[in-house]
Amino acid sequence: MTDLHWLSAAEISAEYAARHLSPVELVQTLLDRIATHNGRICAFIGVDAEAALDAARHAEKEILGGRARGPLHGVPIGIKDNIDIAGLPTTCNSKILLDNVARQDARVIGNLRAAGAIMLGKLSLHEFAFGGPSPELPFPPARNPWNPDYHPGGSSSGSGAALAAGFVPLALGTDTGGSVRNPAGTCGLVGLKPTYGLVSRRGVFPLAFTLDHVGPMARSARDIATTLNLLAGHDAADPGSASVSCGRFDSEFERGARGLRVGFVRQYHETDMVADPEVAAALEEVARVLEQDGAIVRDVRLPRLQTLAAVQRVILFAEAWTVHAKWLRERPGDYSTPTRRKVMGGAFLAAGDYVHAQQCRTQMIDAVDDALRDVDVLLTANGLDAAVRVDDSAALARTYARQARSPFNLTGHPALVMMSGLSDAGLPLSVQFVGRAFDEVTLLRVAAAFERATKWHATRPPIT
Amino acid sequence: MKTAKDADKPELDVFAMARAAGLDTAVKQFPQDVAAAAQSAAADRDELPALDDFAAEPWPPMRIRRGR
Repeated sequence: MTDLHWLSAAEISAEYAARHLSPVELVQTLLDRIATHNGRICAFIGVDAEAALDAARHAEKEILGGRARGPLHGVPIGIKDNIDIAGLPTTCNSKILLDNVARQDARVIGNLRAAGAIMLGKLSLHEFAFGGPSPELPFPPARNPWNPDYHPGGSSSGSGAALAAGFVPLALGTDTGGSVRNPAGTCGLVGLKPTYGLVSRRGVFPLAFTLDHVGPMARSARDIATTLNLLAGHDAADPGSASVSCGRFDSEFERGARGLRVGFVRQYHETDMVADPEVAAALEEVARVLEQDGAIVRDVRLPRLQTLAAVQRVILFAEAWTVHAKWLRERPGDYSTPTRRKVMGGAFLAAGDYVHAQQCRTQMIDAVDDALRDVDVLLTANGLDAAVRVDDSAALARTYARQARSPFNLTGHPALVMMSGLSDAGLPLSVQFVGRAFDEVTLLRVAAAFERATKWHATRPPIT
Repeated sequence: MKTAKDADKPELDVFAMARAAGLDTAVKQFPQDVAAAAQSAAADRDELPALDDFAAEPWPPMRIRRGR
């Protein structure tokens, strides 16, 4: 059997069913691994070992008693620390919320708990899912298991680092401008920002109401589909929640790429923001692999990347300001410098700027919908650069905006990022696929086809 | 460290806007952060495309269409 800490959720479920592994054995193995490596990787802010072992014992009893609840029963998961777990602090890695204990589970936690998943603890993040790594924060920045001197991406940095370090087989992140997809790409994982409204945001600390998404992260597309099957669904308590029926998200998993029409948005990384040559070469290779697998790849153009990103940021600044204005007025010194510089931006925008950006947004949604009329998925860059050192604040600031993720927070289309290669420095490279609204099935179809063709998803970082 | 007292005219305008937004403490303690936030917001506002139709409906704020 593969080392227990590298098992996927699907493999864990199969091992449980075959009575080759017990939830208690697995949870204890992962807790031991976290105890050994978390001091260096800093993925977990808090580990709830006692509750996790209790849940594991309960799951074990149910599974052995023939009462298995489904594919995530007894499967451990890590949760970004801006998502409420009843009885645990939701700190958002900020001094502002250090004593903020959640009274109720977020809707997504309730869904996972009902399915028998085991919450191992809370994962690190950039302050309020918005700032950046900073020594001013209550918890140290997470580090990239592929090379701990490097940044794991953010803002769901702990989620990415925990998966790549083999601490958990699954994690939840949130994504307002790319915060699931950045660490997924930088840590060599699969990360999905679902369609806006598909997954409830109730019980998740808001960053920007009309841009926020909750998304699963994993080491394989199969595990993303399985988790999304549980997370998706209408929630009347979330005003952005959509009432749609998507069926099972793994329903086209085995279909392959043959006949799939792929629109390659080369303009993003070739002219709008010129990518690092290694990033560009990896994207060309993805297109080649999919074509070889029977997909029809052709070039597609979208509105200019910088314009989409600016519209997204005006909305982000304005909405985040409403959440933080009181604290910024009363205790600005309790924010880290990167966060303070970002969240104060909304103070300098007028109401008309926000409405103007919303009017632009409608045009941008139409433009992406139009592009997806003639193709099934878009293939784009994720980040335009490989990972940078975690202590190089200048490089972090320079590369943070060089990305093609935030446009799809603006338009709400689903976007999946996955590993597509390794840089010369031995750090993961990635690709982004974007689909039609509520068509995660096709995103997962192309992701599964790419995994079968390349096996990048089975590559592990050099952490013992 | 540069303080609000050392600021030039455009920065003084920025600090006046910040004070109007209730950020007096931030202006006093973190003038460089206030200036950086204002600069960043202005850059993004300047990047917003002009609209052909000023009466374009902005509501609802997120208009997802069923795609599949």
